Amino acid sequence: MNKLVQIFSSRRTWAWPYIAFMAMFVVLPLILVGFYAFTDIHGEFTLRNFAKFFTHSEAIQTFLYSLMIAVFNTAICLLIGYPAAYIMAQEDFKTPKVMAMLFILPMWINFLLRTVATVELFNMCGLPLGEGALLFGLCYDYLPFMIYPIYNTLQKMDNSLVEAAQDLGANRWTCFWKVIVPLSMPGVYSGIVMVFMPTVSTFAIAELLTHNNIKLFGSLIQDYITTTDLLNYGAVLSLVLLIIIALTSFFGDHDNKEEGGLV
Amino acid sequence: MRLTISDFRLAISGLLLIFSLSTFAQSNLTYELRVGTTGENALLANFPESYAGEKINIMVSVERLEDGELDFIFSNIQHPISNIQSFDSIYSYSDEIGTFWTVWRSNKEIKNRGQRVRVQNAYKTFEEYVRTNTAVAKRSTGWIWFVFAGLLLIAGIVSTIGYIAQRRKERLLTPVEQETLRRKRMGLRRHYGSQLYLWLLLLVLYAPIALIAVFSFTKSKILGNWTGFSFDLYVNLFTGKADAGLNSAIWYTVVIALIAAVVSTILGTLAAIGIYNMRARQRKMVSLLNSVPMINPDIITGISLFLLFVALGVSQGLATVCIAHVVFCTPYVVLSVLPRLSRMNPNTYEAALDLGATPAQALRMVMLPELWPGMLSGFILALTLSVDDFGVTFFTKGSGGLETLSTFIYSDARKGGLTPELRPLFTIILLVMLSVLIYINIRKSKQEEKK
Repeated sequence: MNKLVQIFSSRRTWAWPYIAFMAMFVVLPLILVGFYAFTDIHGEFTLRNFAKFFTHSEAIQTFLYSLMIAVFNTAICLLIGYPAAYIMAQEDFKTPKVMAMLFILPMWINFLLRTVATVELFNMCGLPLGEGALLFGLCYDYLPFMIYPIYNTLQKMDNSLVEAAQDLGANRWTCFWKVIVPLSMPGVYSGIVMVFMPTVSTFAIAELLTHNNIKLFGSLIQDYITTTDLLNYGAVLSLVLLIIIALTSFFGDHDNKEEGGLV
Repeated sequence: MRLTISDFRLAISGLLLIFSLSTFAQSNLTYELRVGTTGENALLANFPESYAGEKINIMVSVERLEDGELDFIFSNIQHPISNIQSFDSIYSYSDEIGTFWTVWRSNKEIKNRGQRVRVQNAYKTFEEYVRTNTAVAKRSTGWIWFVFAGLLLIAGIVSTIGYIAQRRKERLLTPVEQETLRRKRMGLRRHYGSQLYLWLLLLVLYAPIALIAVFSFTKSKILGNWTGFSFDLYVNLFTGKADAGLNSAIWYTVVIALIAAVVSTILGTLAAIGIYNMRARQRKMVSLLNSVPMINPDIITGISLFLLFVALGVSQGLATVCIAHVVFCTPYVVLSVLPRLSRMNPNTYEAALDLGATPAQALRMVMLPELWPGMLSGFILALTLSVDDFGVTFFTKGSGGLETLSTFIYSDARKGGLTPELRPLFTIILLVMLSVLIYINIRKSKQEEKK
């Protein structure tokens, strides 16, 4: 008993339950994805599922299409979001706090409901559902995730650097490209990661926005993983997605030592 | 003459007035019927529960088509309703818009809810159809245009009055004052474009949300169909008259969110204390582990947990959903408690132990009061994350009929329509969120002022 008290009075051990929990419900499940990917239904080692992926033209096409959609969406969000964040971060701009808040608020409303509402909006305006609606909906859902980190970095930026550049004779354009943009890169990186990752793995939005006409990679994974016989193949697809995510987060982490994230 | 801000204002007022007039004109247009009941665009609707056990008429609108095509559509409609043998065409007529209507009566009873039918609306009787006819046939968007035009008109008038008042005031100023005023405005003017950009963006961002909020005040089943102002949906929501599935989804969402938030707050706070007291290398390792669920997108967390539960042979339900929610909530709690720990004096806890407190007492009386704010914000974050989650819940809820709000909306939307009571529910959530954010903002700016 005395020993037990001793163990718990060293506060380092207080993290043990959490570590055990995470090992069980985070690490082990991720290992299981790999395990299922390399085995067949009977639990025997096989590479057939991978072979199937590389010869399965629907899966490859959907995968490439999803990547393309994600890249497009990230680019659109960046193009729309950067100016917005930049404008809001200007010092003499009126009521930026309220604005920033208004841009964040939609994030706290269920994204499925927002998507359904977008669909209804398109219906009401007589616009067709399809690729355009998909891009609009994705951009609409993830734009706040782009604006917020960029706004944060821009706001924390030392304004005297900009003033110095102006004093040294840079015009507004040079000052923007040579000083402000490089300094805001951490925010841009984390914005890109925060938009790209959920877009590439999205699986419910596309079905609703396109009336089931366009399938993204996430929906494909969902289809296979919930079918008992094809669970192993679904695991392969998940592994592919996991690799993409790992690469993206590495990219984001690499250039983003400074915090500029959401939390 | 140089342009001043007032001139811009005048121009904007003028534009607003012109726009409002054109929108008024718009609101008087009769809209062509656009009920998607043909071909691939046909909407799926399900019969409301109250119609179970009754014979119903199904109103199908078909845009003016060749005879041959009509036949095709009729047979296509009959097919999906497998437990209704056939429909007799009892009325058919053309209305003035050029739409062909036909009314079918089922000769068998509708068994249960959730029948998928390729129709937009079902009515008990032909009279009921006639009563609500305008709403269906015209899909009356005119009302919205009218309000929009009214708002534009008001904005235009206010801004014109403002312009006139300001011009009058300016005439009384001395030339020097006028000059300083003009300079001040020149400085502000360059922000007009920027401001316009932000407001346009906000308008687009909020249009769908506003749509939900506006249509929470009408009782029509279909979003976008205005059938007169009413609080019925709110009343239904609070008196439990809403769809049973929705009620249980709300209940489950609340229960799961509370369990997940409480468990993850306890687990996360303990973990944060532990991590804080670790050596640098260990701490780095655990922080890395901590960030994994935050980086992982929903679908990966959901699928990996799904595979775990499959491998363990656990039947999925409330327990598995709660575990899954704790998995992705706890890291955020850890991150919100850690900064509080680094701000507090590390020696107070030891001092309490030295003075004879048990670790539990020291935790309760020394640590908790210091960590409280961090824990609270972690708790709230966990609550919102849990309520908002869709991906993880979707894969861990099993097939036992457990639905949270998110999954309920998803299956509802896939069936073809949103349960109407969701509209008031989310309008309320939106307002609560808005007021919380405003409150936090005000408090923050007050604190900053104090400093």
